[in-house]
Amino acid sequence: MAYINDYAYYQNSGNEPKDANWGSYQYVSLADIVNNFMLMYQGNHELVNNVDRYQVLFHAKRGIQELNYDAMKEIKILQLDVTLQLRFILPQDYVNWVRISVHADGVLKPLTENIQTNWSGAYLQDHDANILFDEDGNVLKPENSELDLERITGGEKSIYLNDGSRFNGSEGYCCDGDWYFDYAIGARFGLNTETANSNPTFTIDKQSGVINFSNISKAASVVLEYVSDGMAGGVDSEVQLNKLFEEYIYAYVKYSILNGKLAVQEYVVNRARKDKSSLLRNAKIRLSNIHPGRLLQNMRGQNKWIK
Amino acid sequence: MPINEVRNTVLAIVNKNNYGYISPQDFNLYCQQAQMSIFEDYFYAYNNQIVKENQRTSGTGYADITKGLVEVIDGFSATQTLINNGANLFSLPSNYYLINKLNYYPIIVASGNITLNAAFTINDTGATFVTSGVVAGQLVSSTSKDGVTAGQSAYITSVNSETSLSITVDLFSKVSTIGGSYTIVLGNGIVEVERVNQHKIFYLKSSPLTSPSTGYPAYVLGNATTTGYGNIINVYPETLTTPGTIFAQYVRYPIDPKWTYVEIVSGEPVFSASQDDYQDFELPLSDEPALIAKICKYVGIEIREQDVFQFGANELQSEQQTQR
Repeated sequence: MAYINDYAYYQNSGNEPKDANWGSYQYVSLADIVNNFMLMYQGNHELVNNVDRYQVLFHAKRGIQELNYDAMKEIKILQLDVTLQLRFILPQDYVNWVRISVHADGVLKPLTENIQTNWSGAYLQDHDANILFDEDGNVLKPENSELDLERITGGEKSIYLNDGSRFNGSEGYCCDGDWYFDYAIGARFGLNTETANSNPTFTIDKQSGVINFSNISKAASVVLEYVSDGMAGGVDSEVQLNKLFEEYIYAYVKYSILNGKLAVQEYVVNRARKDKSSLLRNAKIRLSNIHPGRLLQNMRGQNKWIK
Repeated sequence: MPINEVRNTVLAIVNKNNYGYISPQDFNLYCQQAQMSIFEDYFYAYNNQIVKENQRTSGTGYADITKGLVEVIDGFSATQTLINNGANLFSLPSNYYLINKLNYYPIIVASGNITLNAAFTINDTGATFVTSGVVAGQLVSSTSKDGVTAGQSAYITSVNSETSLSITVDLFSKVSTIGGSYTIVLGNGIVEVERVNQHKIFYLKSSPLTSPSTGYPAYVLGNATTTGYGNIINVYPETLTTPGTIFAQYVRYPIDPKWTYVEIVSGEPVFSASQDDYQDFELPLSDEPALIAKICKYVGIEIREQDVFQFGANELQSEQQTQR
């Protein structure tokens, strides 16, 4: 962003929204990246010449996308209530999830991804299990599979130790004040820690663009922490990049162009590649934000006994 | 470069052995050809010089040949608003040799129609210049399709009232400009409209990463008809249709030189620089030897004199070798 005065920063020069410029100094806009590259790295006397602006724009955006996937910690957070089908519709700019929590009792309870599926497609079948087709030869499908229906209606049992556990509510007997349960097959020894979680669980149906929840109450409030690709929904003017990655993105664009250009010497391409890689490493270290204050807080618990 | 000086030199060379006579009409034609040829050579010379620079065989300071070449080319640089031809179609200037850049000015401060003609002034009784935020320094352009000053632009020097502005160029002094349209734009947020080839524009528009937007607009040149040359561009995104918002910075062709005369005395035309169509060469004085040599080549062919032709050819060759 261009340099602005304090009034423009704090009050957006009296315009709405007032917070438009807060924190903006951390970022460099896509427009600046493209402009700067065309000005400083492209020309008659530069390694990169005779390239169109759209090529620079493309590579700059691709670089920003890649950074958003792994290097940058630009986490987006969205809170929504689950739908009546116990689903959470993925946000438009969703690429991958970081953490999913349910907001209950005033705290965020991180949820576990179910190691089993809780959704599926289904075909209609007759009593002999033959698949049914319509007059056009297309297979007939029910609105919900049995798996989905059980999940939605609350009839689904869970391998997790939550309300849906198949042992939850089983009859037992009390002896000397303790409850004991018989199990139909075998016996339970110890605890399977993988499934020892009392919270609801979820699985992600990527193609349908939803998160399916199991054993969750309808209209529960769910918080999704996710990463996007930084493309700001296609609004170029809102695409931006942390300044710690600015030098890297120039190196990335330079490398990408040289790598795909005819008759560029291999040593030039290699130099650009190394330049890019080392700058990425530097930027990651910078952004990792390891400083004494944070380390101290974490290490305060080092001598505490965990029982 | 004074055309009469060139003519006198050429005649001196040609008449040395009474080789023949060059009529003003023929001389003017040769001048056009020679000027155009040398003008085009500048671009090739510039490219060669860039190659030399990259090979580190070119110097700086007084040895900076590129600088001189760029200065000459920049002397032909012009800026003009592109006239809108409906939708996202805009006409390129008729006298362009090379479109260097198109810029999109996204913020329109005011627009309207001229209600009273006056020199170096915009008068529009329907305007509210002060209220609209028009200030000195902003860019105004004449956007009427068939206006006599169509495409020309000027800067505002002062805001006289809500309905009157003073401008740097005399755009609206003629009666015929009444009713003509104008647009005033802000110099902020200007973006370049990028030239894209016809075979790329489809892919460019289809890709979500490169699709033209108001921040990264693009254009393609074309729109030839069965009878007309394609001198109209399509600007993308298609929403960019406002007249007076697309400006071209281009290198125009040099104006044709014209040696003019008033009368013929004892068989010789008498030079007159006061004729309306009088025009000197637009090339710098340093091009005079090359220009004369080229004209001599043409003259040598006309009067069928091998010596004159050879003289011109040798002079040119020698000059080119010096510049290497």
